[in-house]
Amino acid sequence: MSTIAVPGAGVQRATLASTDHKRIAASAGVLSLGFFIAGGVLALIMRTQLAADGGVVSQGVYDQLFTMHGSTMIYLFVVPISLAVGLYLVPLQVGAAELVAPRVALAGLVLFACGGITMWSGFLTSGGAAAASWWGFDPLSDASHSPGSGMELWIFGVLLVTVGQLLWAGCVLLTALRRRAPGMTLMRMPVFTWTMVATCLLTLFAFPALIVALALLWAQRHFGGVLVGDLGAVDYQQLFWFYGHPVVYVMFFPFVGMVGEVLATFSSKRFFGYSAFIVAVLAFSGLSMTVWAHHMFTIGQVTNKYFALTSTALVVPAGIEYFDFLATVWRGRLRFTCAFLFAIAFVLQFLVGGLTGVILASPPLNYDLNMSYFIVGHFHYTIFAGSAFGLFAGVYYWFGKVTGALLREGLGKLHLGLMVLGTNMTFFPMFILGAQGMTRRIAAYPPSMGWQGLNELETAGAFLIALSALVFLINVVVSLRRRRPAGDDPWQGHTLEWATSSPPPRYNFAALPAIRSYAPLLDLRESREAVAS
Amino acid sequence: MPDTHHAFEHVKAVYLPIAIVVFTLVVGAVLILLVRGAGRDRPGRRSNALRLELANAAVLACVAAFLVVITFRTETPLDRTVAHPALRVRVIAAQWSWRFEYPGGVAVAAVSTWHPRPALVPTGVEIEFAGVSRDVIHGFWVPQLSFMRQLLPGHVSRFDLIFHAPGTYMGTCSVFCGEQHTEMHFALQAVPAVQFERWLASGGSSA
Repeated sequence: MSTIAVPGAGVQRATLASTDHKRIAASAGVLSLGFFIAGGVLALIMRTQLAADGGVVSQGVYDQLFTMHGSTMIYLFVVPISLAVGLYLVPLQVGAAELVAPRVALAGLVLFACGGITMWSGFLTSGGAAAASWWGFDPLSDASHSPGSGMELWIFGVLLVTVGQLLWAGCVLLTALRRRAPGMTLMRMPVFTWTMVATCLLTLFAFPALIVALALLWAQRHFGGVLVGDLGAVDYQQLFWFYGHPVVYVMFFPFVGMVGEVLATFSSKRFFGYSAFIVAVLAFSGLSMTVWAHHMFTIGQVTNKYFALTSTALVVPAGIEYFDFLATVWRGRLRFTCAFLFAIAFVLQFLVGGLTGVILASPPLNYDLNMSYFIVGHFHYTIFAGSAFGLFAGVYYWFGKVTGALLREGLGKLHLGLMVLGTNMTFFPMFILGAQGMTRRIAAYPPSMGWQGLNELETAGAFLIALSALVFLINVVVSLRRRRPAGDDPWQGHTLEWATSSPPPRYNFAALPAIRSYAPLLDLRESREAVAS
Repeated sequence: MPDTHHAFEHVKAVYLPIAIVVFTLVVGAVLILLVRGAGRDRPGRRSNALRLELANAAVLACVAAFLVVITFRTETPLDRTVAHPALRVRVIAAQWSWRFEYPGGVAVAAVSTWHPRPALVPTGVEIEFAGVSRDVIHGFWVPQLSFMRQLLPGHVSRFDLIFHAPGTYMGTCSVFCGEQHTEMHFALQAVPAVQFERWLASGGSSA
């Protein structure tokens, strides 16, 4: 199958104004990867500070660094790239010619770009960027404790990108629900598309709480009298974490879906336990809306046991997903490509994040570990050692589809090796330091504590991660300059995006194969094999 | 008896081995699957196993239930405060200082320092801490007791602690609270009751 001529398609609009979902998604993806690098540079400065005994920047600057690092990575990198991959792939995977409401998605891109620039422009103001952490907790973030425009720009920046993300989630969800090709029933949607459905539902239910929290915070800063009463500070946290926990799954489910697709393709097998997996993902989403106050165990103002119960119950859907991952690889004919190896790394490393999450869900353990480096280690294992590896599994898998050229496997394996080493060197020692009493968000620590060695190890690891990112960028440049054509279906994929050209034409498909399961292209190959034999 | 550190160790002794076993099992399973799948010519065709899925979910639910029971049993006494503690101490956190106020007007302050003057507490008895913040949220964390509690502005948080062993217990602000968060430390020195009474009677000077 190849490109078809669509009337008017020859008239290319400027890339940034295109309403082609693939261009919108590609712009969003490149922009979020840019923010990933920017947020990573902030992390390197922080790591240098902690290895150099607090001698690089002042505490005030350090506060801006970790605030903007966390804000950038969450609001401007992982969440937008999760949704961007959905914008790109969901229409293709369900056999749609277009996204629902592409202009709305384009507006989301504009909001994302404006929000990111707004947030970062805080560094240009005299008082510096926001410095009240990515939570922006009241009262630390109120007018008297965080005066200056950095905090204002942060509020507006987060507000803009969050509205943009809501628009994207609406477009992607409606595309999956309303634009499926004939034969593509709900229970034939690919695993990744299902995880995007769950992601978009969570976004739509949870993100408005953040908008409300930010609006109240803004009103509190300008007029006062909003977050008041002896528990006004807790009110903000309730709203914030009602967003702040589901967002963790927005930063997780899409990568679960990507890894599921990658494992199935490179095991040359249909994804195992499809229905159980879909039920588990939906149960996971529902349950994840009920766990937010486990972030507040140490306040003593929420029913800890209820939230401990719901949080611990998450092991059931998570364990079903793991079972299906392993069973997909079981008896597979494996191909050890970069995408597959990144997916395996996701499975193993995310497990560390998941298991430490179970530990943190127990209040008697949380009473000690909350706010320590243990928790920093925990969420970096979920978001970085987990989701970022899942993202790269997806990048190595779909890069050929998006650009028409395959990434180099050799450089990719170097990228993977450095990233695995760097990730574990950086984040594993955090568990030990946290258990020994090292608090998060400190710019220095007493030399007498003996934490210098492990901190130096972490810093070395962080620079290895940076090196791995550099190898990835080199890989991208090399692969785009000296192109090795991907062809329509370089990996013998299972889903519809592999049934069109790479990159797909403006309206995606010239023709669609029959869709009789969640792996229509595998069906096609199997029936051809059956005929041949 | 709210022995917070003992409670922590008790729950940890259940959770950590389970986590290590699960991790080892999954890593082992993945390695076996990779090795065996490397040279395979024809992939298997099976793509679901409902009974196994249900069995897996049932085992997971049992493990979760077991963990929750352990957690609940341990947490209940931790969250309780006794009606008649042996001592009541007020804790006032502010940007960036700690202040411990005792009955009879004795007070110990630690202002933005890594070497705080210790506030004394008697060993072996329940002490009620009533903590409040003057400005933003602070975190009262004593790693050796495996316990922290957030202190809110305008709201008194009460919790009981017991110091079994004599010695110095270093404390730190665990909730990011602004520019000098890094320096916001305190120290509690647990001493026998007699010595504590003498210290209190002397107005907090004869440590």
